[in-house]
Amino acid sequence: MKNNDVKFTLPMLEAPRTMRILFRKVGNLQYISHLDLQRTFSRVLVRAGLPLWYTKGFNPHIKMVFGMPLSVGAESECEMLDVRIERDMSADEMLQRLNAELTDELRALAVYPAERKFSEIAFAAYDYSIRTAGADQAMADRVAALLDAPGLTVTRRSKSGEKEIDIKDYLYSASVSFEGGLIGIHAVLAAGEGKYLSPELLITALRQRMGILSGLPTEEHYRILRRRVLLADGKTLFR
Amino acid sequence: MMNEKRSSVLKSVEKPGRYCGGEYGAVMKNKEAVKARFAFAFPDTYEIGMSNLGMRLLYGALNREPEIWCERVFAPWVDMQEKMRELDIPLWAHESGDPVSDFDILGITLGYEMCYTTALRLLLLSRIPLRAADRGDEHPIVIGGGACAYNPEPIADFFDCFSIGEGEDNLVEFTKLYIRMREEGRYTRAAFLREAAATIKGIYVPSLYEVSYHADGTIAAVTRKYEDVPERVEKCIIADMDKAFYPDQLVMPYIEAVHDRIMLEVYRGCIRGCRFCQAGMIYRPVREKSPELLNKQARCLYDNTGYEEISLMSLSISDYTKLEPLTRELLEWTDQNMVSLSLPSLRVDSFNKELMERIASVRTSSLTFAPEAGTQRLRDVINKNVTEEDLMRAANVAFSGGKTNVKLYFMNGLPTETAEDLEGIATLAKNVVHAYYQNPDRPKGRSPQVTISVSCFIPKPFTPFQWEAQDSIEQLAEKQAYLGSKVTDRKVRYTHHDAKVSRVEAVLARGNRKLCAALELAAKEGFCFDAWDEFFDYDRWMSVFERTGVDPAFFANRQFGLDEILPWDIIDCGVSKAFFKREREKAYAAATTPNCREKCAGCGANRLGGVRTPCPGCKGE
Repeated sequence: MKNNDVKFTLPMLEAPRTMRILFRKVGNLQYISHLDLQRTFSRVLVRAGLPLWYTKGFNPHIKMVFGMPLSVGAESECEMLDVRIERDMSADEMLQRLNAELTDELRALAVYPAERKFSEIAFAAYDYSIRTAGADQAMADRVAALLDAPGLTVTRRSKSGEKEIDIKDYLYSASVSFEGGLIGIHAVLAAGEGKYLSPELLITALRQRMGILSGLPTEEHYRILRRRVLLADGKTLFR
Repeated sequence: MMNEKRSSVLKSVEKPGRYCGGEYGAVMKNKEAVKARFAFAFPDTYEIGMSNLGMRLLYGALNREPEIWCERVFAPWVDMQEKMRELDIPLWAHESGDPVSDFDILGITLGYEMCYTTALRLLLLSRIPLRAADRGDEHPIVIGGGACAYNPEPIADFFDCFSIGEGEDNLVEFTKLYIRMREEGRYTRAAFLREAAATIKGIYVPSLYEVSYHADGTIAAVTRKYEDVPERVEKCIIADMDKAFYPDQLVMPYIEAVHDRIMLEVYRGCIRGCRFCQAGMIYRPVREKSPELLNKQARCLYDNTGYEEISLMSLSISDYTKLEPLTRELLEWTDQNMVSLSLPSLRVDSFNKELMERIASVRTSSLTFAPEAGTQRLRDVINKNVTEEDLMRAANVAFSGGKTNVKLYFMNGLPTETAEDLEGIATLAKNVVHAYYQNPDRPKGRSPQVTISVSCFIPKPFTPFQWEAQDSIEQLAEKQAYLGSKVTDRKVRYTHHDAKVSRVEAVLARGNRKLCAALELAAKEGFCFDAWDEFFDYDRWMSVFERTGVDPAFFANRQFGLDEILPWDIIDCGVSKAFFKREREKAYAAATTPNCREKCAGCGANRLGGVRTPCPGCKGE
């Protein structure tokens, strides 16, 4: 039978070590909010038997820092979570232990010592695939033209009222395709701490400007997948 | 798993995590390879259903059988129900996403009366005929269970059968009979139900019994239609709790369940015998689990779930005879793993410093006790067997231990209650506040908060008070206001339950089959989530009762005759009616009954058997 006390036999580190977990969050897991994901991971880390470092206060708890939040309804192949360990466990073993406690839709892809700071993240690359009535190459071309033209403002509704946002201020690059009846968009959007665009807003813009995706959700739908996270040059992979 | 059609709907509903499934620990099987598919439904939201210990147990027990695949079903919230109507999506099971109507068996757990309308909504959403009589061989068998199944009569027309008592073994046996009859090619709905009733203990099939009534509406007779079905249906129990199924793995919800922790069931039953308490009667006899096994099970679940809290579950945790060794064994590993223990059902008479220290790691500044009544006389009437002294001592232990908040539960409208008893509640609370300031070890510089939470007495089947009349709404409201006027201390906070909900609950709790018409109309008029304040509408309930010829006062506010045939007499919960009558007489004489461990009161439940029990003459298995 499994017993997670094995971790207590590992040698103590001189100082807690921050390890980064690269994971994917796809399929059904896109509907799990950031807060729920935190709670989920706090249990995953424990049942994986990782030698976690606990804060020393009155109410000891583990430290978890997520790379950047992912909005509900978007999937990702490049989520990151930093955790601190206090005993020496290899990255490979951590990865193996984590994946024994995860499902396919929430899987750890790599574990490694955290080097870069999350604040260095500037962009994220997304793949959109859209199933909508009347989709064809001509529609894809119109989407491309829209993303290419200057100025693409959308009205964003939030708790503090309505707000106009120009997507173009946040759009680094985009390419559009039409394949298998789906409109595909590959877009690099601002994803830094100070400048961040929710990928959902690109869909909102297309809805508002082109009137697509207005039918029943069972007939017309879309998928957003975060592929990569990039540094300020818009090219170098952040990891 | 969701199909694409439904998955896309999730982008337009609140809390989509309620519906998406895919949890770690969910049991997936090949539906072609299993012989029976069991949909286990909880008639409330996902967050509430996922907190239910019974559901966790039965899900595991059924899925342990390779030929059975049990899946979970919850009530979709109103926004999702709206989408389902709009897009023509029938209710589905959580694991496979397949429609509930495709299953062989649909089990619905009935934990509280106010979930009945939601249970019926589940049938409607599943497109299964509401009335059992209208179902054919192509529909799932609908079986009910849980605490409310002990008086199944108000919902008898909607269920093909009920499982009475503890279901871990019973539901497996039931499903295996279904598989056998299917394999042997002799399955028909009627033949299966008849054979289940005749051969499996604890299975009650309402359609096999005829009920006739006197002119005054009381029951004249209950007659079985065939000689081979039991005259009274005796509940089934697990005699040896150490041999009961207990999961080594849980489904881990992504979104927060109401009780999101390890629930370690320590024992079943209760030695106390409070006269209003149904749970204390229907789960008899008391059967403990051994501490060594509990520790092993807790450790295994911790390793497999990562939960940071273990809750020791029972009706009254301090009555567990092995509490000291159990907590000692648990603390050996919970402390270094930062796992905290919680003991949610403490009695004031057994709360002491040692116990307090063991749960000191629980991060809360408040403690809850349930004196239930304001004077010693009334506490004797209900056989609570705690004194004001006990309460003060417990409160002082809490205050010395750094707690500042104490919550006290009381009940309003108990039999024989007077103005003095109500005033006693306010006085008791005031005395607790006073005790705080008298306590030299109290937390310095902080003021206490004593909350009195007062619910309304509901006469429940299978209790010594099952015959009692509930106070009218007006009487209850008057009593609530009177008590409010007596609470003058600013450190005392007073809250009370809605008497209207309690009245409808009393009607449903003590109802007979005539209630079925009312519930059917309620279901058709869109009632759902009546356990939620925002959906409960008393006037609509009264209107439904009126239009179906149901007099709510007949069920809630009438003193039932001691010789009257009660709707739930068809069920044998193990405790005898003679015992309830004796206890009722003692209540009116304000005489207490010692707990089961001090002296056997002869309730009769020992004939059901039991291991590690205080009951004399129990035959173990």
